[in-house]
Amino acid sequence: MSVPDYMQCAEDHQTLLVVVQPVGIVSEENFFSIYKRISSVSQISVRDSQRVLYIRYRHHYPPENNEWGDFQTHRKVVGLITITDCFSAKDWPQTFEKFHVQKEIYGSTLYDSRLFVFGLQGEIAEQPRTDVAFYPSYEDCGAVEKRIEDFIESLFIVLESKRLDRATDKSGDKIPLLCVPFEKKDFVGLDTDSRHYKKRCQGRMRKHVGDLCLQAGMLQDSLVHYHMSVELLRSVNDFLWLGAALEGLCSASVIYHYPGGTGGKAGARRFQGSSLPAEAANRHRPGAQEVLIDPGALTTNGINPDTSTEIGRAKNCLSPEDIIDKYKEAISCYSKYKNAGVIELEACVKAVRVLAIQKRSMEASEFLQNAVYINLRQLSEEEKIQRYSILSELYELIGFHRKSAFFKRVAAMQCVAPSISEPGWRACYKLLLETLPGYSLSLDPQDFSKGTHRGWAAVQMRLLHELVYASRRMGNPALSVRHLSFLLQTMLDFLSDQEKKDVTQSLENYTSKCPGTMELITLPDGLMLPPVPFTKLPIVRRVKLLNLPASLRPQKMKSLLGQSVSTKSPFIYSPIVAHSRGGEERNRKTDFQWVQGDVCEVQLMVYNPMPFELRVENMGLLTSGVEFESLPAALSLPAESGLYPVTLVGVPQTTGTMTVNGYHTTVFGVFSDCLLDSLPGMKTSGSTVEVIPALPRLQISTSLPRSAHSLQPSSGDEISTNVSVQLYNGETQHLVVKLENIGMEPLEKLEVTSKILTTKEKLYGDFLSWKLEETLAQFPLQPGKVATFTVSIKVKLDFSCQENLLQDLSDEAYLGDTVGSVPDNHNGISVSGFPLCSPFRQVVRPRVESKPVNPAEGSRPGDPGHVKTLEAILNFKYSGGPGHVEGYYRNLSLGLHVEVEPSVFFTRVSTLPATSTRQCHLLLDVFNSMEHELSVSARSNEELILHAGECQRMAIQVDKFNFESFPESPGEKGQFANSKQLEEERQEARGLEINSKLDIHWTIPSLKRTGEASVEGLLNQLVLEHLQLAPLLWDVLVDGQPCDREAAACRVGDPVRLEVRLTNRSPRSVGPFALSVVPFQDQQNGVHNYDLRHAVSFVGSSTFYLDKVQPLGQSACLGALLFLYTGDFFLHIRFHEDGSSKELPASWFCLPSVHVRALEAQA
Amino acid sequence: MAVCVAVIAKENYPLYIRSVPAENELKFHYMVHTSLDVVDEKISAMGKALVDQRELYLGLLYPTEDYKVYGYVTNSKVKFVMVVDSSNTALRDNEIRSMFRKLHNSYTDVMCNPFYNPGDRIQSSLQINTDLTSACHRGASQRSFHVRVFQTCSWELPVSPHTAPEGLLVAGPSMAW
Repeated sequence: MSVPDYMQCAEDHQTLLVVVQPVGIVSEENFFSIYKRISSVSQISVRDSQRVLYIRYRHHYPPENNEWGDFQTHRKVVGLITITDCFSAKDWPQTFEKFHVQKEIYGSTLYDSRLFVFGLQGEIAEQPRTDVAFYPSYEDCGAVEKRIEDFIESLFIVLESKRLDRATDKSGDKIPLLCVPFEKKDFVGLDTDSRHYKKRCQGRMRKHVGDLCLQAGMLQDSLVHYHMSVELLRSVNDFLWLGAALEGLCSASVIYHYPGGTGGKAGARRFQGSSLPAEAANRHRPGAQEVLIDPGALTTNGINPDTSTEIGRAKNCLSPEDIIDKYKEAISCYSKYKNAGVIELEACVKAVRVLAIQKRSMEASEFLQNAVYINLRQLSEEEKIQRYSILSELYELIGFHRKSAFFKRVAAMQCVAPSISEPGWRACYKLLLETLPGYSLSLDPQDFSKGTHRGWAAVQMRLLHELVYASRRMGNPALSVRHLSFLLQTMLDFLSDQEKKDVTQSLENYTSKCPGTMELITLPDGLMLPPVPFTKLPIVRRVKLLNLPASLRPQKMKSLLGQSVSTKSPFIYSPIVAHSRGGEERNRKTDFQWVQGDVCEVQLMVYNPMPFELRVENMGLLTSGVEFESLPAALSLPAESGLYPVTLVGVPQTTGTMTVNGYHTTVFGVFSDCLLDSLPGMKTSGSTVEVIPALPRLQISTSLPRSAHSLQPSSGDEISTNVSVQLYNGETQHLVVKLENIGMEPLEKLEVTSKILTTKEKLYGDFLSWKLEETLAQFPLQPGKVATFTVSIKVKLDFSCQENLLQDLSDEAYLGDTVGSVPDNHNGISVSGFPLCSPFRQVVRPRVESKPVNPAEGSRPGDPGHVKTLEAILNFKYSGGPGHVEGYYRNLSLGLHVEVEPSVFFTRVSTLPATSTRQCHLLLDVFNSMEHELSVSARSNEELILHAGECQRMAIQVDKFNFESFPESPGEKGQFANSKQLEEERQEARGLEINSKLDIHWTIPSLKRTGEASVEGLLNQLVLEHLQLAPLLWDVLVDGQPCDREAAACRVGDPVRLEVRLTNRSPRSVGPFALSVVPFQDQQNGVHNYDLRHAVSFVGSSTFYLDKVQPLGQSACLGALLFLYTGDFFLHIRFHEDGSSKELPASWFCLPSVHVRALEAQA
Repeated sequence: MAVCVAVIAKENYPLYIRSVPAENELKFHYMVHTSLDVVDEKISAMGKALVDQRELYLGLLYPTEDYKVYGYVTNSKVKFVMVVDSSNTALRDNEIRSMFRKLHNSYTDVMCNPFYNPGDRIQSSLQINTDLTSACHRGASQRSFHVRVFQTCSWELPVSPHTAPEGLLVAGPSMAW
């Protein structure tokens, strides 16, 4: 007895063993189809009694086990069914012979046998035989089950006869000693007559009868026999057989207590046969009734029958607790015999099954522990595998999952033990997979994504390693890649640096042959291996959708009526904010849009946890909602990098709402699709974005060089291009802007606006001006086409001199006469450009005043010009294509940086009255601050050449201005309540007017650059007053001819009519005035001779009176003069001092001096 | 002496495991891991008993050929498992009990360490047991833990390298890459 049957359970004790075997060449398929049909007949209710026979079929049974049949009758092969193919009658005798040979093997124990012949037809098949059945084919054998039933009945008859035969043995007869194979030699020469020997024989026979009763379905009888046997054998210390008797007792009790069966499969089989559940529940009854039916059998047996069956059963049958005790005892009996190892092992297994049903795991584990230590002879590898597998199964049965997994793993390792010539990697792999639950390991990475891993990492890693190795040896690299990826992904925290390196290296080796995919791998046995995305290689901490660059950002046109007001609420403003649920946070919509067809970016913060450089290839975005062309990136992350920003890009191809679901990578040759939802510790600021229809793209290039200057960030706008230019003050330059449509959509709309950034400098005139019409004529601009746009840049800053510069200049001799002399504000007509000196300037130019006088702020002394900077932004708003239809536009900004170098300065300005009262001379001290020679020209004057650093005075004769006749400056529309500002406005308007008249230009011949110069900034109130045409217009007419600068001619002796005419253009009435005419002669040497009483006489009064003149009124007074001598006379018309004239500015009373040339009277 | 000491979290993963013949550590991992079956079984059987009368010491979990595995469970279901050499008959139940009690005290000290997150692996400086004083990174309470574990472990007698039938197979075929 050497081959244990690990599948045995207590119920097997009541079965009859039938071996079904093929003879000759029978295909496995055919054999098993018949075997299956045969073995379905496992339970037979015996005719005319209620006893049930149970049959156990085996297609393979070692004959040496059969030799133990006397010891336990269920080990005895009592029936043999042989299946054979036979196609011709010629082969028949040979076939039949083979059947006999087969019978011989189990011959000693067989009760009956059958031969099933398939394929033979004809004469031989016709003859009726009991032991042979003929069937034409494997398909056509409907009567097989019936035949088997007949066969079993015949077995029953033999069994019953044997049972009765043994049971009724008269005590006088010599009872043969039953013994197991290894005992036979022990009993040679033993005294067979001794009482001890007889008792032994009796005990063993009793036990045997018990077995037979159990098999024959007489449970109660068997219990009685076993009890007796135990008593007998115990008294003679026949331990082996005592064990068997105890085990029989246990088996019978188990059958009684647990009609459902203890061995899972066996129990199920029992129900699928003819037996009904009700019958199974009543199964103990038949045996009991048999006792009643056949009491003689018991009495003749010498046992006192307890006819009160119910009481007897209760007494004979063991309680569940006793079963275990008796099993223990039986096993300890068996353990005394080395050769009974198999019996002991099987008993242990049976006991464990019983304990499993009783849910007594601890005791069961003790039995199993014992079973582990039972040393059988040297086991073959296959047997070892079987043994470990069954141990694992039993441990599983009692709920010891870890122990079960341990033994299963040992079994798996045994499959590929080095001693095996052909290692069964497939079996090993299969067994290893079965251990997974025992190690609380699932192969779904989803289970590991929740927080830190809580498991026995050491053993789990080991198992995974083994899975990888086994699958590789199985020749399934895809599997090993999957397992290895899983190992790397889930056990990363537990791998040492060296292990990480090893694992990744081997992963790379595998993937070079078979890249890892995201597909579900389904194993032949139906296990699914979900894909393993490498969410930790690299670890992604944050995902952020990036807005388009400012120049490409779409903006919504403001619609007329607030579409921007959300329609959710009828209120314009409500403090109640609709609460967004926490779950929405991840899918929160971003507040910007992406544009179809434009490259969009998503920024990921990634982290490499590996101790070496991590190469991530083919990293791209996974999106939904919109067709998105992802442009994968490859990156290389340094070892254990900190958070590292990575930008993934792609182009949305359609419009709508797009969601970024995750990203895909290829790391170590494994493709991974990582979804953001499943990433732990992910931070995202919304992964949903609106994609709007395509818009054109504008690229601008200019004629000016690009600038490294960036404008002040405070400007708010993001500038795409900066250009810079250097200009001299007053110069004008044209900036040609090339507009190129580099997008895919036609550019239909363009708007240009400019914004001058706040500058401290006062700017005169339009800084930037353009004509858009010419450019728009080229629209719509098709993709790839270029349009040009010209902007003229005119810089006109203040030409007046800075204080420090003047201070500096004052040292120079040629200006010395004017500097330092405080100008006479009342009388003087010479007013310098000193800002500090004039109280009026405080009104006019407060800005200059506010500037601290600090030489250090400027450049070094003597360097007149520090360069000034002007900055402006040109905004191009453009749109086109489908995006335009949707109401979107784009904004492109061009930054303009202008460095203004000083050109000329007007260091001083003053006026001189001209000969005519309607004209005056404007004197400008022009200073050339450049290093180049330049020429300055005013309207009509000749050019003035100025060397570098030279200052010269320039006189320009100008007509006086009648400012009042000009329309009021545009600023004066009432919005400037402040009179100061109003005054300033007016001043500026005047300056502009004067400047346009002056038209001063400078030219640098060497550089061929020209520009304007403006006096606007340096005209002050006094100068202006002088330049202004007084509101009271005085005309002096001599002989009816207006006399201004030309000398009027008259004759000596003739009275000359003198008329003083006043035109009042001021808004109020003036006068009355009294004027007196004082004639004098200019002796051209600075002496004025006023004593002309003899030379000139008045006709009438020398004093004129003018009445009050209403606004816009005119008044005149007449007088006459009589020149007595020839000569040049001047008439100085004076006002008499009185109150009224004092109220008006002195300059209003500026009468021309009249020059009269008295000629010889005509003869 | 104890050849292996393990502290196992409530969720049945090791917080600390240390065996004295360090070369075959995995064997002890398996041994302790499978012993949890018995611990679970014992705890579930004990569940009916009153909480305050509960005995923390679980006794012998199972014997193998060379070792005996003892168990101990705290009220918070943290398990201590100790493997001792079965050839050492000097160790009686009482000694085992006192060793467990020491271990429990040390574990309590670790839990008192404010820098220790419950559920984290317990870092031990036992690897560098030549210099215990310098090896403490995480506070005095933990140092005492190391010292005590060290004392428990280093009583004497390394293990004879006999292997149980299953122990023979633990390593299996060499898993060389």
